[in-house]
Amino acid sequence: MVLRDQNLSSENAKNLRPLDDLIKRIAENQDQAAFVELFEKAGSKLKAYAMRCGALDGEAEDIVQECMLTVWRKAHQFNPKTASGTTWLYTIVRNKRIDMARKTKYDVVVSDDLWPEPEGEDLETDIERDLNGKIARTLLHGLPDEQRQIVYKVYFEGKSHSEIANALDLPLGTIKSRLRLAMKKLDTLAQEQMTWLIIILLTNF
Amino acid sequence: MANYHPSDELLMEFTAGQKQDALGIMVACHLESCLECRKRSQVFEQLGGEILGDSQETPLSEGLLGKLLSRLGESPAPAKETDVQGDARLPRPLRRFVPGYFDSLPWSGLSKNIKEFTLPLGDNRYVAKFYKIAAGKELPVHTHEGNEFTLVMSGQFSDDAGDYKQGDFILADSDIKHQPRAGMNEDCICFAVMDAPLKFTGFFGRMLNPFMR
Repeated sequence: MVLRDQNLSSENAKNLRPLDDLIKRIAENQDQAAFVELFEKAGSKLKAYAMRCGALDGEAEDIVQECMLTVWRKAHQFNPKTASGTTWLYTIVRNKRIDMARKTKYDVVVSDDLWPEPEGEDLETDIERDLNGKIARTLLHGLPDEQRQIVYKVYFEGKSHSEIANALDLPLGTIKSRLRLAMKKLDTLAQEQMTWLIIILLTNF
Repeated sequence: MANYHPSDELLMEFTAGQKQDALGIMVACHLESCLECRKRSQVFEQLGGEILGDSQETPLSEGLLGKLLSRLGESPAPAKETDVQGDARLPRPLRRFVPGYFDSLPWSGLSKNIKEFTLPLGDNRYVAKFYKIAAGKELPVHTHEGNEFTLVMSGQFSDDAGDYKQGDFILADSDIKHQPRAGMNEDCICFAVMDAPLKFTGFFGRMLNPFMR
């Protein structure tokens, strides 16, 4: 159980959220040095993500550029109360990847349709946010390999279940049941984590 | 609060950016009104963040940072597709695809009591439509060749499996044979996304089939 030996001190939160301060500096001071540091920390990961999603080398670098420009322009919209910097970056690269991959006239849907900019106040608290990050991390690493492999395929390759079945040379039913198992496991793990969080909160405060 | 929600698998695929189609629009509409699913989707976004953070690093070209720094002063692209206003009573993800509100749409009649409007979201995988069932009336009994996703936009309807109201997200697959009936008090309008056309099974239903393509 990962949460057992950790606490929710600010020191810890800082380690988990290395990009947050950089994004904040960009938002507040248009800090170019922070921008360069963020590029060095995240640029090559953004590129790796784009390429695993199917972009060629040059396309992936275009996606990286567009992502980083969005960070520069929209850093003020980053709300550390709702998500970590890494998660915010993830949503940006996911959206750029979608919009830059549209090829035919049938691709009418853009990322702004699916994720309109928020209008109201967000409801999350700091604790919930850090918890979500920890849960996500623990969940991902708590999954058995064969289930985690399928979750990765959903995130990276955008394959339908039957395409995943072909790629892994497994029956469609197996893929569906593994994904279902992964979901169930995520749910159980999340509930366990919740229990640990309550214990931690009770002992810390 | 909705009682029927997208499955975890669908919500994960949506959050992973793999549903940039009519079905994705439907999920986005449901999320707009469902706090519970927004929270579930946030966990999946965090999962995406973790996966991004865990990615192997792929080397970048040498000139990339310089190119990027020289572009920081650029003003962002002006107009976007999504700047179209649309009717504020509709969920935001749908607004720009619908010319007006339900009362002013060019509905086409399948029968006096059942009208449809095809949304310009069609791709080679899905057909997207609004259905309007008059108060107290029912659709002919039908099955589906594929999956049919339904989001109740206004009013309510029921079938053998349950009662559905605004915001409910329902999946009917090819095993389900059902006969949705609109609530007695008002017309029911649904947003439906199908990966195969409906197939009506009764005698009158069979006569309707050619119009449903």
